[in-house]
Amino acid sequence: MLELLGQQIVPIYNYRIVLQYADEFSRGIGNTLSAAAASLVLSIAFGFLLALIRLSGRSWLTYPAAAYTHSIRATPLLLQIYIVYFGLPLLIPATGRWSEVVLGVIALTLHTTPYMAEIIRSGIVSVPRGQREGAIAVGMTPIQQYRHIILPQAFTNTLPPLLGQSAILVKDTSLLSLITVFDLVSAGMLLNSERIRPNEGFLSVAVIYLAIYFVMLMLSRVAEHYLAGTSRKARTA
Amino acid sequence: MSQHHIDVFFSVMPFLLQGFAETLKLSLVGVLWGSVLGALLGIIRGQQIAFFSPLIGAYIHILRGTPFLVQLYIAYFVLPNTGLAWLMWDSQTAAFASLGIYTSSYVTEIVSAAIRAIPRGQWEASFAVGFTRMQSLRHVILPQSVGLIMPSLGGVYVNLIKATSIVSVVGIAELTRQGEISILRFPADILYIYLLVALLYFAFCFPVLMTVDWLERRTKVGAKYGTAVLSGRLEAAE
Amino acid sequence: MKRYLRLLTAALGLAAMVVGQSVAHAADTIMDEILQRGELRVGVQTQGAPVSFVNKDGERAGLAIDIARMMADDLGVKLVLQDYDWKGLIPALLAGKFDLIAADMTPTAERTAALLFSRPFFYQETVAFTTTDKPYTTWQDLNVAGLNIGAVQGGTYVTAVKEFLPETNVKEFASGPTVAQALSAGRIDGALSDLGNVRGYAQEYDNLKLLDGVITREPLAFATRKENVHLKFWMDNYVELISANHKLDRLLDYWWNTTAWQADHK
Repeated sequence: MLELLGQQIVPIYNYRIVLQYADEFSRGIGNTLSAAAASLVLSIAFGFLLALIRLSGRSWLTYPAAAYTHSIRATPLLLQIYIVYFGLPLLIPATGRWSEVVLGVIALTLHTTPYMAEIIRSGIVSVPRGQREGAIAVGMTPIQQYRHIILPQAFTNTLPPLLGQSAILVKDTSLLSLITVFDLVSAGMLLNSERIRPNEGFLSVAVIYLAIYFVMLMLSRVAEHYLAGTSRKARTA
Repeated sequence: MSQHHIDVFFSVMPFLLQGFAETLKLSLVGVLWGSVLGALLGIIRGQQIAFFSPLIGAYIHILRGTPFLVQLYIAYFVLPNTGLAWLMWDSQTAAFASLGIYTSSYVTEIVSAAIRAIPRGQWEASFAVGFTRMQSLRHVILPQSVGLIMPSLGGVYVNLIKATSIVSVVGIAELTRQGEISILRFPADILYIYLLVALLYFAFCFPVLMTVDWLERRTKVGAKYGTAVLSGRLEAAE
Repeated sequence: MKRYLRLLTAALGLAAMVVGQSVAHAADTIMDEILQRGELRVGVQTQGAPVSFVNKDGERAGLAIDIARMMADDLGVKLVLQDYDWKGLIPALLAGKFDLIAADMTPTAERTAALLFSRPFFYQETVAFTTTDKPYTTWQDLNVAGLNIGAVQGGTYVTAVKEFLPETNVKEFASGPTVAQALSAGRIDGALSDLGNVRGYAQEYDNLKLLDGVITREPLAFATRKENVHLKFWMDNYVELISANHKLDRLLDYWWNTTAWQADHK
């Protein structure tokens, strides 16, 4: 029965051709996920810094930070990638020999950091004032306040939007194919240009992206349930 | 800024401005019909009806789970292969359709979340005074949701304006495409021309962003809620 | 359960029949359709002079464009050009967006298996280029392990790198100018393109130079969907016709063999 179904599907979507490209697709998925993961870690780290700068209220810090944030938010990622790729070697000649994946990660990090900063900033702001005052009252240093009081609570509030932004980041990696990174889209394009089969090329790419998205969706559900459980416990304790 | 750069500036600017007009047109059409479609779907989803809400949830997830680039390729190159006449769009229609559908997925989520954010008591009170479901929605619920919806919508529109740059890969002569065509004439000025293109996008998006921020500050609730939606919060698809 | 599966297969079979039929229906009418609608729809790419580009007045120009225009004029129909990225050309043709592709496309074995190509309109010479600070003089000198060679994504230059410079790594870019820029900026060590384009790049960039020797000579032909047999024969005949009356030679001299076009379009 299944075989019969397979025969009917083949003229529209020939999965046998797709299977021949399994190696290329797995290489593409690997590059897509590792570029996304590296940019995620970096943009959270820099986003945290940027959030602290914005909260610091010192104008010599906040004005450049605002200029950076606005110029990223008001221009397309496609152009940001090209400008990093072609512009960075003019500023720092040594980067001319860096691999495309590294430059792609730099561009994605530059792009994602302001969004992460906004999520982290609203997470920190969402922690009630009294919590910080309490921490100061028991004699904690600013670092201790952040580490033991503010961040653990902020984390619970920021996790859902953080995962949402990560899902966007995974999709954004699709533009890295334009600077020769062999990502998921490139794998589909290769199948398409070698076998002239647009259906197989594009639909496979879409389905794999969807699968990655659903895994992230599940993770976010699990994380939300887990955090909801622990925070309730913390409150009653 | 050398004489060469000034020459290139004056020789590419007319084309870039032409592309800018096309980008403006694409964004406006995308915003208009994406909002109408999104608002309709969002209102239905906000009611939490048994069959439709999960269906619309699936629609949102499929659009959010795939890159716009891939959606565009499918609208262009895969749908016509179905052989169905009503799916054979010309380039312009396919660009409008995919931009609008992309926008609608975000608008749907914002509208339905805003409706659900209105306290239950409001519904109960309107039913108590004898309103039907439609009447309650029209006179009580939607007017209150608008304040929540507006700031978030602004962010979606900025995203849409930026997404139009991806339409360049299917040859619509919008701003990015005009930039690329200009680069063919002046290959050595690739970075300079990309910077000019980026400046034009900035001139377009920055005022919109400022308006969004101003709206957010004005409606404090909107600010808190807006960032959650804009950051692409993974909402449950019940 | 079995009943549902049978229903599903029946539905899929029906869908396949509908698809098949609509294609068959289009087959015997493409030439009539062009004449009836009074429009020849042609897919082109904008990859740069001299084959297809946008000139200083913002008009589409180039060798492929001129041939397409001549075709439409001789048929007495209007020419409608649609512009796509290189990798979008074949999918768009298959999706029925236009009647034929007029671009510098090589009829490779894989492409010919899926499309119908006309007889070649002209030939291009694949050459290599590099930066002036490099010691290489011929394209063979590039065949060194560890060198990165640029080429346009999904094109025959990529195949040529793999075949003729097997020691090197191929880097695939979205368009010709990005290849040239990447080379000029030192991101890659060399690149492959056709002679016409490379001459243009060497003029634009002070630090690029052409390497000696022709790697391959490739036929370039126009393509249509595999069911458009009549259109394919019409194009073959057209090549014959414009070769006999020397119209093609005149175009080739203007665009391809000399730089005469630069005075009018650059």
